Amino acid sequence: MSQLDIVGKSFPQIAAREKATGETKFVTDLVLPRMLCGQVLRSPYPHAKIISIDTAKAAALPGVKAVVTFQDTPKIKFGPRSEDWTIFASDKTRFHGDEVAAVAAVDADIAEQALELIRVEYKELPYIISPLDAMKQGAPLVHEDKPGNIGAEFKVEAGDVDRAMDDSYVVYEDHFYTNQVYQAYMEPMSALADVDLSGRVSIWTGTQIPNMMRMTYAKALGMSPDSLRIVVPEYGGAFGGKMENNIHLIAAVLAQKSGRPVKLVNTRHDDFLAGNPRVPMHFDIKIGATQDGILTAKDVKVVGAAGARLVYSQVIVATACYRVDSLYRLKNVRAKGYTVYTNSVPTACFRGFGNSQSTFVLESALDELAIQLKIDPAELRIKNGMGSNETSVHGWKIGSSGLRECVTKASKAANWSQKKNNKTPFKGIGLACCNHVSGNRPFAREFDGGSGIVRVGKDGRITVFHGESDMGQGQNTTFAQIVAERLGVTMDMVNVAQVDTDISPFGLGSFATRGTLMGGNGVLAAAKDAYDQMADIAADMLNTKAADVACRKAMFFSKSSSETKISFQDIASEATIRHHGAPIVGTGFYKPPTELPDPDTKKGNISPAYPFGCQIAEVEVDPDTGQVSVTNFVAAHDVGRAINPMATVGQIQGGIAQGLGWTLMENMAYEDGKMINADFVDYIVPSCFDIPDIKAILVEPIEPNGPYGAKGIGEPALNPTMAAITNAIYDATGVRIKELPVNPQKLLAQIQKLGKHVKE
Amino acid sequence: MKHVRIHLVVNGEDYSLFITPNRVLLDVLREDLELTGTKEGCGLGKCGACTVLLDGRPVHACLTLALQADGCQITTIEGIGEKEVHPLQEAFIDKGAIQCGFCTPGMINTAKALLDANANPSEDEIKQAIAGNLCRCTGYNKIVDAIHSCGCQSEKEKGEVR
Amino acid sequence: MRIRPFDFKAAVSLQDALIQLDQSGPDAKVLAGGTDLVLNMKKKKILPSTVISLHSIKNLEYVEEKNGMIHIGAMAKHADLAINPILEKEVSILCQAVGLIGSWQVRNIGTIGGNLCNASPAADSAPPLLALDASVVIATLKGDKIIPITSFFCGPAQTIIKSNEILKEILIKKPVNPSAGCYLKLRRRKAVDISLAGVAFQAETDPTGKRIGQVKIALGGVAPTPIRVPDAETCLTGLCIDDAFEKIALCAQKAARASKPIDDVRATADYKSTIVNVFVQRCAQHVLTTLKNQRGKS
Repeated sequence: MSQLDIVGKSFPQIAAREKATGETKFVTDLVLPRMLCGQVLRSPYPHAKIISIDTAKAAALPGVKAVVTFQDTPKIKFGPRSEDWTIFASDKTRFHGDEVAAVAAVDADIAEQALELIRVEYKELPYIISPLDAMKQGAPLVHEDKPGNIGAEFKVEAGDVDRAMDDSYVVYEDHFYTNQVYQAYMEPMSALADVDLSGRVSIWTGTQIPNMMRMTYAKALGMSPDSLRIVVPEYGGAFGGKMENNIHLIAAVLAQKSGRPVKLVNTRHDDFLAGNPRVPMHFDIKIGATQDGILTAKDVKVVGAAGARLVYSQVIVATACYRVDSLYRLKNVRAKGYTVYTNSVPTACFRGFGNSQSTFVLESALDELAIQLKIDPAELRIKNGMGSNETSVHGWKIGSSGLRECVTKASKAANWSQKKNNKTPFKGIGLACCNHVSGNRPFAREFDGGSGIVRVGKDGRITVFHGESDMGQGQNTTFAQIVAERLGVTMDMVNVAQVDTDISPFGLGSFATRGTLMGGNGVLAAAKDAYDQMADIAADMLNTKAADVACRKAMFFSKSSSETKISFQDIASEATIRHHGAPIVGTGFYKPPTELPDPDTKKGNISPAYPFGCQIAEVEVDPDTGQVSVTNFVAAHDVGRAINPMATVGQIQGGIAQGLGWTLMENMAYEDGKMINADFVDYIVPSCFDIPDIKAILVEPIEPNGPYGAKGIGEPALNPTMAAITNAIYDATGVRIKELPVNPQKLLAQIQKLGKHVKE
Repeated sequence: MKHVRIHLVVNGEDYSLFITPNRVLLDVLREDLELTGTKEGCGLGKCGACTVLLDGRPVHACLTLALQADGCQITTIEGIGEKEVHPLQEAFIDKGAIQCGFCTPGMINTAKALLDANANPSEDEIKQAIAGNLCRCTGYNKIVDAIHSCGCQSEKEKGEVR
Repeated sequence: MRIRPFDFKAAVSLQDALIQLDQSGPDAKVLAGGTDLVLNMKKKKILPSTVISLHSIKNLEYVEEKNGMIHIGAMAKHADLAINPILEKEVSILCQAVGLIGSWQVRNIGTIGGNLCNASPAADSAPPLLALDASVVIATLKGDKIIPITSFFCGPAQTIIKSNEILKEILIKKPVNPSAGCYLKLRRRKAVDISLAGVAFQAETDPTGKRIGQVKIALGGVAPTPIRVPDAETCLTGLCIDDAFEKIALCAQKAARASKPIDDVRATADYKSTIVNVFVQRCAQHVLTTLKNQRGKS
């Protein structure tokens, strides 16, 4: 590829200046005239029948402009996938935090007082929290029409697993558990809703899926999708957690009832109770290998807790069953997945989407195999890792793969061989790899891909419209860089518009690590269209053919006689004049070469590109307290091409920090069916002292299907972290961690049981 | 409940406010003065997003009653750098220390107070100062680098390798 | 998280505060830094009818040395105490401990008086003050009274202070012989956490510097109040330093046995006791080594 001016350079995030000065208006900063404050009344019980709700006193409180319950909604069942949601609980509440009623008042003080005045009579019902118990005979039913509390079942099989296991030299079988953790984005979930005179509802909210959400919500509100408009301001993080949630709908209902704009901001406590945390999973894994370490077969059973209603947990459990199969050259795989209703908070997407849970399990298992086979764990990954231009057992067409390079570069940077041979007790080093997707065709429903609009005004000002979502990861900056590169202009000329479903393309959103590739290719196509239109005019003005024209650093010139230059702005001005005021509007889209998987075999190439990574963690374990410190971290990630290296490294470091938190300190704890640590006092996320220096290495095989060769980084940044740390803990102590998070007391007990640890 | 009159000096400007005693400084800044740069991340003094400087010292504005600030100098993010962007803010921007940006105002306020008291803090001293500012996006590496680069001697870049 | 309405009074002097407090009834609360009070008001755990602020009172924030006694004003902030040169020199264990309270933001406004009066069983300032055998000066309408800190705590969030009294000052007798102290706190991450268990270990030699004159060990977070563990202390008292090293394990065992922690979402009782044992050992090692080295130098 010819020299790139913008792509591949570490521009500061385009919104950074406003964020650094406090200018940025996040969702929670938005204000509309006559705006009311909305708050939600939530069930204090894990499972209860609603006998009666008396809102009279609340409604009578001066300053209260609306009090709503299920009766004030269209009473339609809906859901992102499965239709088991209602905006408010109707006859019973199904989890501690379930939405029962809401108020809109002139200020937060009065809204809170009003909530206290709502009288709800409950009759407590038997509840179930453990998904394994929920599947048993006689367990309380979360939904009467879902026997066995089964929300969904998934199965997949390829090859001949039983024979391959029999033929294996070594087989490892064990049970693992990954717990429920919370995204802990710094800005709580919030929504500002307003209804115009025609009844059209606008919602400003931080959402990763403005359009998919709009479709779901239109159904819930009993209106056509075009009656609903979603606008996405800058917002404070998401990590998967900001997709559909009843608070958006509740804000809309309050706005409808009160006739005024309503802003509803979750207290942090409510965000813990009723956000969308990670699906906790039980894994049974069995995996075989030959004597030289070639993986033979993999068989898993996954049981995941959906919580009280299905958000995306069924897709996440399915993903946990089989996405990681395409990390290695497995030929024989089998998986069975159960998504089980429980009386706990509905679980949903969190960075990794099931693949992070299953990567922890598989990479721990591979570590065990490496030990049994006496093969270096790094070598084991290289032997089995998917390479470029290979097709996986599920028909995934791996275009570029930098996996092996990730392993060798990470190993070198981490001094892997030397440190692995080091026999210092209670110091250890561990390695883990990952794969992921850059877009997931079956998740996206009607289509996958991306689209864009690039507008060039008379003054040369460029505005990019896309439909994905910048949750802080730098998506807008990536798109600006892609467009600037394609147009041949400078970064400061490119602006990215806020996503507004009335104006922006129908983007599917930012999830499945798809933003850069899908959205990026979409805006790239639009930029090409805008460029071609301008090139035609430039050709005319330069007296040459369009193919002879180029633009660099915002100057158009003829390639064959480059002394004459006309500025991009002058071309833009000329274009608008010639078109009697019409700006240049480039549109375009990206159709990925993917397919919906076969409904039975699940075979089919679901993503245009697959990122890979390898992470190496060093730990020190305190042998007297069982506490673990991560002292060093190296991560090498195949990102195709880093559009913005600094932002890519930032994502890697952030993902690792979250993985570290999950492994060592984060857990949503329940007692008597209620969450008992719904705050930052007792839900512990890493402080700056907990995260070591993280050395990030970018591996760039240049992905043919990516915009300028880029793949994604968001979720692969976290997938290997947990096993890298727990494999290091094994190396340090001889204790195999099979449950997240690591419990220092349990680790201590295991250490003491093993006696003084001597490394093999 | 009787209103009380308080006098705040916020980012160098005088304000005379008539408020009820039960209001916290965070809400008065955001609502009454419309300075929305200071954020509420948890409301219980556990995340640091609401950090402002009270007579130069970082405090949780969500745990400080507005009347505790009576007669005090308050600096919010809007007051860092005044007319121009402060070198500390530039460092955050240039070094990729900002992702979603929600923790950023509190983080910068804390860092400013640190640098005012200690012009050349070590990495450990930086972490001691910002330990009460949670960030969920960045993994802290680039934040520490940004603050460190504002010290008298800056360290070589670490982190990214091609 | 609204704070319920209350009447606000700014006291102009300690006497004024006492009068206001007395007149406002038992529901009234004193406001120092507010990091505990405001938090509890937001959580609806404390609902005062009246809040009396001590902010305008001069001369409640100081660290002074007078006639072999260290005086700490109750309104002194943790951040200032953590780096105070008098405290660092004479009773560094207190600096260590208050430096670990909360975040820098909390330490910049939170006061030692507030930390003591909030009386969390896990309060970080308490074990070191117990290990230093401190006293507190309580101001009342009838005059000041001095109470040993060992009598100060009555239960979780309960102290001996009456609703119309105000903690005014903390008194610590300056160690006369070589001394050293260590405070360790169990946390779930490497910074900014409540103490799950805290150990304060303070030892002073005899005038020769060769024997342990006094050992004081105090524990936080493992009983309804912060406690001393005399049973463990006697293991080491009177021994020459080299011999004392041999008795560390026994001392730690006794300290762990004297603790009465509870299971909670933070950690099990079992684990807290285990940590008491480990931390007493580590503190003792550190302190005895310091005293040995000090002796070596003199």
